Amino acid sequence: MRKLARRDKLKIYGDLLFILYTESKKEKVVLTHVQLKTNVPFDRLKAYITELKELGLVQDEPALKLTEKGKQYLREYETVLDFMKRMGLTYR
Amino acid sequence: MDNLALVFIEVISAVLCFVLLRFMIKPFHTTGEGRYLGLPLGFAFLGFSYIFMGLSLYFESSLFVEDLKWLQLFTQAYAFAFVAATYYFSKEPTKNTRLWWNITYAGLAFAAVVSYLVIFEPPMLELPSYKTVDEYFRIFNVICLAYISIHTLRSHASRPDPKTIWIPLSYLLLVFSQYSLLIWSVDSSFTAYVGAHFLRVSGLGILLFVVYQAFYGKNIAAPKEGIRDEEART
Repeated sequence: MRKLARRDKLKIYGDLLFILYTESKKEKVVLTHVQLKTNVPFDRLKAYITELKELGLVQDEPALKLTEKGKQYLREYETVLDFMKRMGLTYR
Repeated sequence: MDNLALVFIEVISAVLCFVLLRFMIKPFHTTGEGRYLGLPLGFAFLGFSYIFMGLSLYFESSLFVEDLKWLQLFTQAYAFAFVAATYYFSKEPTKNTRLWWNITYAGLAFAAVVSYLVIFEPPMLELPSYKTVDEYFRIFNVICLAYISIHTLRSHASRPDPKTIWIPLSYLLLVFSQYSLLIWSVDSSFTAYVGAHFLRVSGLGILLFVVYQAFYGKNIAAPKEGIRDEEART
């Protein structure tokens, strides 16, 4: 079985922001679903969300979702990943 | 071909490189990974190499022409070496990858300083003729660019996508440009010389097109991937 490559923190943040963005469109964000999709332990997921909140990328009032700054960051992150893909560069 | 026309082509190439540099730094800036640093460094060196060539053509009777030509030779070779190193290290990283890319970039920077000292600082060493060295450097450039072309072609073949075919094409044009200059160096073929410049500008133009598509293009036709695609559809 092929071993999964380790992700760095930035990649996890990117994945987490995208999953929170898609999940926040549902009625309620279920953290267990987010945890399953991001594939990180629950305690670490909570720590990452706290860090994202401190950075102003995520808000949990009235519900857990991306702030405008978070959406802007995700947009730029995806643009650069798309550019790297077009350039034939891999990012894990 | 008129010297002024050649200077103009060198200026156009340099401008294209510096515009590309602005975007090539983004992967390093976003990911913070040193292995992507070779891309902006490579395009910066490439831009300077065209400036040196343009200056040597413009001031063709000056005393510094030979120095400028040597500088062009080295900066261009370092440019392609840095870009090739970036592609080599962009593969899935292993435990020692970080160490190896640090060693490689440090080695290239060290070699650049040593070659500058050997050529331009006293004691002046007896160097082979510029023409001979030029041919060896062209071969080196062709090897680096061929490696990048194969790498990007394989990347495209592994996940075929119309968006990713342009980059191997642009690098292949740069390979043929260097190869044409090699032919020109051997048999002084005018067609090869003009063709080399045309191929180079075309290759850099395609790179700019890819950059434009990635940063300013609409992704409506692309499969749903993220926030950009969703926003493009609404």
